[in-house]
Amino acid sequence: MDLSLVIIVVCLVLAAALIVVFIVFGRSEGAFTLDIGGASPRASGGSDSSSDKTLSSRLIGLAVTVGGIFSVLVARLWTMQLVSAEEYTEKAESNRTSTIYTQAPRGRILDRNGEEIVTNRSSLTVTAVSDVLDDEVEVTLLANLIGMPVQAVRRKLQDTTQGYQSRRTVSVDVSRRVVAYIGEHPEVFPGVSVETRAQRYYPHGSLAAHVVGYAGTVTQEQLEESESAGEGQVQYRSGDVVGQTGVEARYESVLQGVRGEQVVYVDAHGNVTGQASGFDPQSGSDLVLTLDIKIQRAAEESLAKVIQQVRDSGKVGAGGSAVCLDCTNGEVLAMASFPTFSPSVFVGGISTTDWEALQAEDANFPMLNRCIAGQYPSGSIIKPITTMSALDYGLATAQSSWYCTGWWTWSGDLSEAAGMKCWGTHGGVDLVSGITYSCDVVFYEIGKGFYLQNSEGMQETYRRYGLGSSTGIDLPGEEIGRVPDAAWKWEYFKSLGYSDEDATWQGGENCNLAIGQGDLLVTSLQMACAYCSLANGGPVYRPHVMKGVRSRMGDGYVSEYRVEKIMDIEEDPAYRDIVARGMWGVVYEEDPAQTEHWTNLDVTVRGKTGTGEQISADRAIGWFGAYGPAGEGDTPRYVVVANIDGVVSGGSSALLVVRDVFGAIYDQPDTSTAISTGVD
Amino acid sequence: MAQEMTGPGTGHGLLSSLAQRVKGGAGGSHVGKKGPLEGVYLTQLIPTLLILILSVITMLSCSMALGTVSLFNHVAGMALGIAAAVVIWRYDYRNLSNLTTALFVVSCVLLALPLVPGLGVEGDLGGLGWVHFGPFRFQPSEPAKLVIIALMASACAQYNGKIESFADYAKLCGTLLVPLLLILVTDLGTGLMIFFSGATIIICSGAPRGWILATIALIVGVAALVIITSQIEGIPHILQEYQLARLTVFLDPEGTASEDGYNLQQAMIAIGSGGLLGKGFGNASQALSGFLPAAQTDFIFATYAEQFGFVGSVVLLALFAWMIIATVLLAMKVESTFSKLMLVGCAALWTFQVLESVGMCIGIMPITGIPLPFMTYGSSSMVTQLAAVGVVQSVWHHRQKVA
Repeated sequence: MDLSLVIIVVCLVLAAALIVVFIVFGRSEGAFTLDIGGASPRASGGSDSSSDKTLSSRLIGLAVTVGGIFSVLVARLWTMQLVSAEEYTEKAESNRTSTIYTQAPRGRILDRNGEEIVTNRSSLTVTAVSDVLDDEVEVTLLANLIGMPVQAVRRKLQDTTQGYQSRRTVSVDVSRRVVAYIGEHPEVFPGVSVETRAQRYYPHGSLAAHVVGYAGTVTQEQLEESESAGEGQVQYRSGDVVGQTGVEARYESVLQGVRGEQVVYVDAHGNVTGQASGFDPQSGSDLVLTLDIKIQRAAEESLAKVIQQVRDSGKVGAGGSAVCLDCTNGEVLAMASFPTFSPSVFVGGISTTDWEALQAEDANFPMLNRCIAGQYPSGSIIKPITTMSALDYGLATAQSSWYCTGWWTWSGDLSEAAGMKCWGTHGGVDLVSGITYSCDVVFYEIGKGFYLQNSEGMQETYRRYGLGSSTGIDLPGEEIGRVPDAAWKWEYFKSLGYSDEDATWQGGENCNLAIGQGDLLVTSLQMACAYCSLANGGPVYRPHVMKGVRSRMGDGYVSEYRVEKIMDIEEDPAYRDIVARGMWGVVYEEDPAQTEHWTNLDVTVRGKTGTGEQISADRAIGWFGAYGPAGEGDTPRYVVVANIDGVVSGGSSALLVVRDVFGAIYDQPDTSTAISTGVD
Repeated sequence: MAQEMTGPGTGHGLLSSLAQRVKGGAGGSHVGKKGPLEGVYLTQLIPTLLILILSVITMLSCSMALGTVSLFNHVAGMALGIAAAVVIWRYDYRNLSNLTTALFVVSCVLLALPLVPGLGVEGDLGGLGWVHFGPFRFQPSEPAKLVIIALMASACAQYNGKIESFADYAKLCGTLLVPLLLILVTDLGTGLMIFFSGATIIICSGAPRGWILATIALIVGVAALVIITSQIEGIPHILQEYQLARLTVFLDPEGTASEDGYNLQQAMIAIGSGGLLGKGFGNASQALSGFLPAAQTDFIFATYAEQFGFVGSVVLLALFAWMIIATVLLAMKVESTFSKLMLVGCAALWTFQVLESVGMCIGIMPITGIPLPFMTYGSSSMVTQLAAVGVVQSVWHHRQKVA
């Protein structure tokens, strides 16, 4: 550098000297023209002057041409270097800079006590510079060492999704042996190195898989969506890991970190020649869920256990769900769905066969979160709400009573063949015992009463309790179920091409609806919310799984879920007493085999069994919904609803799951093995 | 008034002042004082030396970034060239004026040398125009340029500025055509230079305008015929497709997926991104990081313009214009027709080289590997260009002085 400085200084001095020389001596040269150029042709005579004139004019023409050529050059330079300079500068910049991206680790997902459900682990990753591609021997050696096909290694080396100058990821999660070998033989593997990278890790395996969801490589649609999104949104790049379902997707913006960007200078061969600017990756924020791992695990294990029992007994046992809410604020303490899946299969990309297995119908759709997307007829667990409706609209009172022979007809003439069955023979029943023993005759009568007096009243009550609409839980993919009414039936059946008669709402359908059958569809989360209202005596808070976003420093939250009351259903306290009494009876009176499961629990629980017939699938879905503590003077805190698809009854299946969840809450496991035989 | 008009200004200023003086006839005063530098024509020498200084600075930046460039070689070439120029300056060029036949033979021999088996070698860029004598390699076409200028000057000077017979005119054209055909075989660029200088000499030597225009029309017609037949299937092609593409790529560099198109784009990015003041010495991200190929040779102007911007480019072009116009001015002033035509040949040579070498970089001329005088890396060209300066200085040195 010093030498070149000297050369430049010498050059400048020389240039200055030359100019001075010209100024001092150059002036005299002009005068020369006058003496010779002008004077002598004149003396030479006429004949010469014409040829001399031609020559002179041609020389002037030459000079003008030279001037013209230089003017054109300068004009062109003017447009390039002054007018369009910016455009060219941009091109030059994009030529000489290149950006290298570094993935930011995603935020962790924790349970309410701070225990990790989803975290990151460092994985040993073999990376290589793209130049390795040119060395056939090295590629082959590397492939043999890692145990990959040579062609696969070559494809990985050609992958430029992380930027053209970035190191290529050859293999993730390599063994220590590979790491040691590469470390010991650097001369064999120039350009290859081992890095530790963050990968999604699930310390509890598939626990809460449906809630947390999974993260996977960004899809084409997500890429396009993020491109069209405005400033401030996460801009994805091909190859980014993005939340696809569950909390991973819903709170993507919290969990997704900021990818690191290093802008480097490169030469024409792509060699990095210097660092321009950049910032380090910033990991995503930790998300705290409302889930309690202990309760969640109990719910999942119990579901799996009970469904296994159901299957052992010869029933289908296709799937099930269980949800546990804190009814005082809507926090989801447990949300389990069966069958489940392992989110870890998505780490580093899922194989096609694995993906197809997860989507398959004969595997009972393991990816489906049945708590929010499994829509089934509610069966008898709707009866407390039907009771409220009957009392509200004056179709029944505390004094109303009916007589159940096990057979019911619209006209009251029991000899008619066209009628409906009750699952048992209950004799004289009132509203309380109607709930307790789940007597269908009581509710057929209520349904008939509504049909005759107020054909939409029952549906209105159901809707007031949140059925047929979204709960607004902070998870993607929630279904809203269906509360059927005359208008719906007309539209639905007409669109399928049925006759007017077939599309008309029938009285029997009101009766079916009153016992949670027919075209009614609900999710277990909707039923849990409806039971929250029963437990709370009115209010329902929006169910949610997000408790807050952890601050990077310390234990506090940078943002917390704002509890929101979504419903506050007014009922006469006397009506509530009737329903509560009936639900107490379900647990402690209906069936000794049921009661046996609850007497070994210290707290009082009120609940309702249900068994919904699914005509289309020719199998029954068993339900149990309960809340507790619900003794005299207790303030209920927990609402648990479970269902299992393909069972004999709710009391023999879902009830056991709910009991196990309460067992986990109060650390009092169920010691009874009694199985109820009732099919209500 | 004369004092005001004869300042060291640009060529245009000098030109107009001269034109006035030619018209106005005798007048003004003769400066009889003989300075220490009386033997050199400073008006042409000073801009040449300033260009050499810029050349050293540019090549210094290249040598720092590009491994293949040696500043020492460049400066050594300059020294050799200056030595040659001094020799020529002292030699009385007028001795050449009667050696037409000898010059013709010498030029043909020089141009035929690379075609002799055993002597011709391939150049760095694959060109055929090189020969080797023992350890030395050079391009005989380079000195041949000067020889042909002398040849044409001596041939045309016989007619004393007035060609009256068409046979004479045809003979002159034929004299130029022979070496031209020899060089066109190996090196189109050099051939064009020789053609341009030779044709300018013929034009300035007083050939009637009608003949010149007819000749130009003939050349254009032949060229058009060559290009058209080269594009028609089934007819023997004189120019291959790639050769045609090379000539036309400058019209649409981005639309052509060829190496030339890419090179031209990079050159234009280099020049354009230089902006008003340039990126500064050594900071040429385009030229000096390998994006611009042949940064020290064919695209040397882009390398210079990227570093020194519009201001630097205008300074360099002004220096070229100054030295060329000064040469033309001298041609107007000197007595002998031979001297005039020698100067015209040199001026035309430089003009064409600047036009082509700079014009190619900025996308207004076809891509050919013509060196920019005094700037391009390579000793053959440097020596020839400085020798041409020596010719101009020799003309001044041996001018007829007023008794």
